[in-house]
Amino acid sequence: MAKLQKTSVEMEGRYEDRWVLVEDEPPAWEDERELSVAGTRVARLTGPRRVSGAARYVSDVTLPAMLQAVVVRSPHAHATVELDIDAARAVPGVHAVLSAADGGVTQGENPIFTSEPAFAGAPVAALACEDDVSARAALAALAPRYAQLGFVVDPARALAEQRFQEDPVEDESGDVEAGMAAADAIVEAEYSTSAQVQHALEPHCAVAQWLGDELHVHVSTQGIWDARAQLARAFGLDPDRVHVTCEYMGGGFGAKQGPTTEGLIAAYLSRAAAGRAVRVFNDRRSEAVATGHRAQTQQRYRIGATKDGALTAIELTSVIANPMRGWINPTTIPARTLYRCANVRAQAIPLRIDVEPSNAFRAPGIMEGTFGYESALDELAALLEMDPLDLRRANDVDVDQVSGMPYSAKNLSACIDRAAELAGWAGRDALRDREHADGRQRGLGAACQIWWGGGGPPAHALVRMGHDGLVTVVTGAQDIGTGVTTAFAMVAAEELGLPLERVRVEVGSTRYGVFAPVSGGSQTMPSVAPAVRSAAFDLKGKLLELAGDVFEVSPDDLLIVDGEFVSLDGALREPVTEVTGKLGQAQLVGTGSRGPNPDGMRVNTFGCQVAQVAVDVATGEITVERIVAVHDIGRVISPLQARSQVEGGVLQGLGFALMEQRIVDPTTGTVVNANLEDYKLPTHADCPEIVVDFIDKPDPNASSLGLKGLGEPPIVPTAPAIANAVFHATGVRVRSSPITRRRFLEERAR
Amino acid sequence: MSTYVRPESLDEALALLAGGGAHALAGGTDLVPLQARGKAAGPLVDVRGLLSDGIEPAGDGIVIGAAARVADVASDARIADRYAVLAQAAGQAASPQLRNQGTVAGNLAQHVRCWYFRHPDLTCWLNGGDTCYAQIGEHEKHGLEPGDCISVAPSDLAGALLALGARVRVTAVAGQRTLPLEELYARPSEDHRSAVQLAPGELITAVELPAPPDASAYERAGERAAWSFALTGIAAARFGDDVRLAAIGLTNEPRLLAPADPLAGLPGLEQTGWKRELAGVLCERALGRVARPS
Repeated sequence: MAKLQKTSVEMEGRYEDRWVLVEDEPPAWEDERELSVAGTRVARLTGPRRVSGAARYVSDVTLPAMLQAVVVRSPHAHATVELDIDAARAVPGVHAVLSAADGGVTQGENPIFTSEPAFAGAPVAALACEDDVSARAALAALAPRYAQLGFVVDPARALAEQRFQEDPVEDESGDVEAGMAAADAIVEAEYSTSAQVQHALEPHCAVAQWLGDELHVHVSTQGIWDARAQLARAFGLDPDRVHVTCEYMGGGFGAKQGPTTEGLIAAYLSRAAAGRAVRVFNDRRSEAVATGHRAQTQQRYRIGATKDGALTAIELTSVIANPMRGWINPTTIPARTLYRCANVRAQAIPLRIDVEPSNAFRAPGIMEGTFGYESALDELAALLEMDPLDLRRANDVDVDQVSGMPYSAKNLSACIDRAAELAGWAGRDALRDREHADGRQRGLGAACQIWWGGGGPPAHALVRMGHDGLVTVVTGAQDIGTGVTTAFAMVAAEELGLPLERVRVEVGSTRYGVFAPVSGGSQTMPSVAPAVRSAAFDLKGKLLELAGDVFEVSPDDLLIVDGEFVSLDGALREPVTEVTGKLGQAQLVGTGSRGPNPDGMRVNTFGCQVAQVAVDVATGEITVERIVAVHDIGRVISPLQARSQVEGGVLQGLGFALMEQRIVDPTTGTVVNANLEDYKLPTHADCPEIVVDFIDKPDPNASSLGLKGLGEPPIVPTAPAIANAVFHATGVRVRSSPITRRRFLEERAR
Repeated sequence: MSTYVRPESLDEALALLAGGGAHALAGGTDLVPLQARGKAAGPLVDVRGLLSDGIEPAGDGIVIGAAARVADVASDARIADRYAVLAQAAGQAASPQLRNQGTVAGNLAQHVRCWYFRHPDLTCWLNGGDTCYAQIGEHEKHGLEPGDCISVAPSDLAGALLALGARVRVTAVAGQRTLPLEELYARPSEDHRSAVQLAPGELITAVELPAPPDASAYERAGERAAWSFALTGIAAARFGDDVRLAAIGLTNEPRLLAPADPLAGLPGLEQTGWKRELAGVLCERALGRVARPS
């Protein structure tokens, strides 16, 4: 039965008690039960469509008489701008021009276009044009004239001037001074992390069209429902008059929330152009200057511990450059929750600088904070002359240090043990001390991870079956590239006792009316997969009822195994189509919802990674040879998709550790590496061997499937593991990411 | 946006290029991105089908056609065998995709690396403006030598060919000439804001390799394992007792260095001291690899 229930809902560490629509989930799969699909190696079901070009991305959407949008961006960090709007509108082939002069063109509370751009890349106008020729003529006619104003892009100066984006926040527990006094050793160090750009392969893009009083938007988004809600609000529409579609996506990594600025611009331009379809498609430069990034941080730690490694006190200050309004990146959470420590004081200082606001990027805040904290713990281990992994083991804790609640399940120590075994941790000093034929120095470093990823309600699914016995899973999630659709199909096939090839999955449209949450916070799998299972369970019940009627047996005596009805006594064995074949064109439909989260518990994910690096000490060249990644995410439904998630996270973590860094020029305030030749992403040649393993034990308290999310966890510990490995190999401690040749050589010379 | 012309003959191409202002287009891996950022304005004259892409023995040496791809140079067995430094430089340049697209002449004639020079919203000194933004801004990957412009030479091939003592054949409506590679480059000046010294309308048609050295080697440092311009590339070639040592990534133009004191006159700038240290190590390694066996 569906019911409204007040329950704790979590999104990237923000907890909120909310009324949500839930239904009880069916009982968990019995542990001893032999699962035939879940947990098996299944290649991504959408793979053939993706590689053959049959998959329809937003860039493939071409509508009749579609106009192309051009977004005009400020080249200056701070300026006022004047535009000849009327001249641009008069250009033949130009159907709409929007700027700050048009009221009510907003994203949330904020105008999209401004006459006083406050960062280089800020949109000042957008035009809807028939073709390139009219677009160029319109841009010339628009003739932006800028008058430059002063700006601040240096966080140090912003700090000195106390330019706060929000008020600084301090969290304190226990008695830090007493904890420090009780310490046998105190480590004190400062770390910095650079701005990292999401750079999804597919840029931000959208096609919008008004059909009468209905708005249709194709947009590359992580949240079609948020897109629907925000578009409806922007235009004062009933949400049911807004249809949002995102069939396939080429990545988001946090940067594609709701309708995205691009989706809103497309919809506003379309309205101004009498409803004609308008396409917005960012170029790579726009992606680099105007669609967000991981905020730059500076973190100072003081950590005390006793001789045996028990943490006695942690004090930290984390300065965050240009966080989003209303949300301070949780950079202090790793220090406050990853290990046991009763005495913690953590201050977060959000600064305002005149660069584009940062936004979510895969484990926002946590990943940066973990770089600092897990580097500092490595320094503490060195100070204590302790094995760095033993230090972590000594402080493992099964109670959330902030809320005091127990974890629903936690296997961090098992992750550490397994990672150490797979990485050859016991031989790490021998590896370091050996002379290698290539003249490089080698070493191992480790880091651990905590992230949320429990998911939760509301999330819904329906599963329908036609006369041919084929099943369609429908849910309003979107697959941002993680392969969740394959996992949904596996869950449905498992529950229904059908071969996987009989199941297909439809996602990415609000038209089905089946709500699912935003693909963020590692919550798609743990929120939606249980709803899919519930819907399949519901359908199975209905199917068995029908079968009972057809075969004149009790439904309770029937199972479905590999596409056949089988009676418990084995006497009956009939294909499912023996019943569904009688449906004609009618459909049998099961529905399901995610159940509530457990009360009084925290649902988190954990993991440990070990990096092996080879360093050419004289030239500062660092090669990551291997990453061992062991994560605890409860049950693993689809090992191949899970493996891909870990590989992707590790590579983005490697980029953050060694090369990725958006650079803003201090004298002009513009980004100097807003392209993919100067902004360095890891290439195939930079890929290490990635050894992936999971604890793969269902969390008994986390939904009927016992699974948790994996989107974020693997990116979290990679960078500190690499930094710690560089230190182990060379004795050089680089406290800034990325660890470039320059930083390594300068630190070594110090 | 630019007009694109595909002439039928080399003569026609040279006539189109003669006035200056037009750009010869071959692989386009440097020119096309530059134009997309509003630089190097002017019509494109596609010369790719008009120039030799052969790699042929000539006397004691080898002649490489201007349109030979960087990948062709990297995979040529005769070059790998006799001019190791060149094969190594070609094999480490850019990425496999770019090596398959870019030509030898285009690689030699590409513009300097500087993210201010290539910035779509800035007009720096090298672009004809007044300011070298790099010197007052972010220049940790720039040169070691003070001057009006601190951009760096990007061509791995140029470093290797300089060490080998290669010559370049150049043609124009007015006629042909052959010059030592070092004369193809100079520091940009008030009157000539480019490190490439081709006269207007001139086109590189071939590169001549002299007799092979006794030993040669290329040492290179990038920012990642592939598709990275060299922070610095050091080429060394030994002919008997004479060693020719050349560098890219340290100065505006590819430059011959004195083996006895390679970095003399290259003090390093505020943010490039580390690069000087790096270059010193690579010079030592390159010289070590070509040293006469004792």
